Amino acid sequence: MTYADYLAGEPVILTAALTGGVHGKEANPNLPETPEEIGRAAAAAAEAGAAVVHVHAREDNGERSFATERFQAVDDAIREHADDVIIQHSTGGTGAPDDLRHQPLRTDPAPEMASLDMGPLNRYDHLTSENTRALVDSLHAEMVERGVKPELEVFNDGHLNEVHGLLERRDLADPVYATLICGPGTLTRPRPRNFLNLISNLPDGAAFNTLGFGRHQLPFATMGVLFGGHVRVGLEDNVYYEAGELAESNAQLVERVAGLAEELGRPVASPAEARELLGL
Amino acid sequence: MTCPHLEYRDDDGRFDAPRAYCGAADQFVEAMRADVCNDRYDLDHATDCEIFRAHEADGGEATGDGPEGEES
Repeated sequence: MTYADYLAGEPVILTAALTGGVHGKEANPNLPETPEEIGRAAAAAAEAGAAVVHVHAREDNGERSFATERFQAVDDAIREHADDVIIQHSTGGTGAPDDLRHQPLRTDPAPEMASLDMGPLNRYDHLTSENTRALVDSLHAEMVERGVKPELEVFNDGHLNEVHGLLERRDLADPVYATLICGPGTLTRPRPRNFLNLISNLPDGAAFNTLGFGRHQLPFATMGVLFGGHVRVGLEDNVYYEAGELAESNAQLVERVAGLAEELGRPVASPAEARELLGL
Repeated sequence: MTCPHLEYRDDDGRFDAPRAYCGAADQFVEAMRADVCNDRYDLDHATDCEIFRAHEADGGEATGDGPEGEES
């Protein structure tokens, strides 16, 4: 995917990361946590232009859950309110045992997509989410078995080596779909030249999704649209609409980037178009 | 054993369910940090939480951090 895709007016897939597993209502009271809240947020985000919703599961008090049953409750609520949006489960989980990381893949039906973190990242001062190659391979194997499209999460440019390595070890269905993540900490330093470098080092034929954390969400979304990529926004990654102003909802963030993409000449992909583009 | 500074509060109805609150940092904590507070999985507040460690070392002064969202 390149600037030529932008010039050609290729549709842009918008993903709404609705809830996450890190911060919660203590950071923004509008962040959905319960299955019902997530289901309603998914519907509103889809109405605003999201073709994909990226979800984590939580307990009623906002704490993380990796249980299949809790993901099932989230999916059931989403399907009650938004019957066509593509559901993407997170398999991330700093500090969680590897066996729990598989649990989100085991809903009925399986999610159409799931995230696959491509390597280690630091968290707080004393934690690292290891995401070993062995775990990446075992998660990928179960995704293949259950017909789940992996969304390869590239937190820094070293993780691009891991993407190429994964392609050498395993068969991935076309197109390879990687989310390029820029922000603080272990992430790729959020600068345009670094983003372009990530794009230029993707495997041939890969499609990419764009993710800037926090204040970088909107500028990186804009660059993602211009460079022919797809875009992820949402309260998981950014709780503000603008400096000092909390976002009202996930839909508000989706609506803004949908308008931006349309203004720049790229139509927003429907779920059906996204399924075709991603080979689901 | 959970962190001795961990409490669960609903903040006078601000939250539907009581949430993890850090008495050392004097603030509600993120979902991921709550797993550390509760020593879930192989996590241990005594070694994995910088707030606890700073509080123990300094005798009281410690702060939490804002949302970074470095996980997906």
